[in-house]
Amino acid sequence: MSTSTPVDPAALREEVKSKYRDVAENPHGSFHFHTGRRLARRLSYDTSVVDAMPDSAVESFAGVANPFALRPLEPGERVVDAGSGAGFDCFIAGKQVGERGRVVGVDMLQEMLERSRAAAAQMKLGHVEFREGLIEDMPLEDGWADAVISNGVINLCADKRRAFEEIWRVLRPGGWLQFADIANGKPIPESALRNIDLWTA
Amino acid sequence: MLKEVGFVDIRIGDPVDTFGEAGGEKKARQFEVYGYGFLARKPG
Repeated sequence: MSTSTPVDPAALREEVKSKYRDVAENPHGSFHFHTGRRLARRLSYDTSVVDAMPDSAVESFAGVANPFALRPLEPGERVVDAGSGAGFDCFIAGKQVGERGRVVGVDMLQEMLERSRAAAAQMKLGHVEFREGLIEDMPLEDGWADAVISNGVINLCADKRRAFEEIWRVLRPGGWLQFADIANGKPIPESALRNIDLWTA
Repeated sequence: MLKEVGFVDIRIGDPVDTFGEAGGEKKARQFEVYGYGFLARKPG
């Protein structure tokens, strides 16, 4: 994962919004990444859980790995999903923490928030909610979360340190950060890092 | 960077072929891009 800030953060944010607005509105469109149930199988999510979820909760899923692979959540935990997209990981989290727990998904895109809220209502998940916000400035009080999850979002932040500092703020002492993201084994040329189109291509 | 912010007990999972058979596979192979799970804890 690159840690530098070679592009304009506001311009990158608009590029990301444009790409993922398309995923929200056209979940079966042609993208450079997999989406939906096929992706969930590729990333080794529990098929018995995913198969029980309605299409509306799965079809716009666009994660890059499985944030629950190294640590399943515990019943009763309070969980934040930083960059919750269409809500897929929040629904998985909601199943793991149960009704005594709480899950808050934070996303900057109105189209994704509408999708995730509708799916949560369809599944009658009263302990899963979605709030509008940026991963760098989440609408949560200090130390609220037992765990913060995220999937394929931090690599799209221009200021990754700021994102990690914000996650630190919302975690309680002893709390867990469990996220999924991409990393490159070979260095990416500086010219490519400065090409904002390539961040989401 | 996780260490710099203060996280401890950092673990990285096995690589996942996130882009295999997808449109972005060629570019992912070029730069050896894979998905990973990361785990870290805020000290208590």
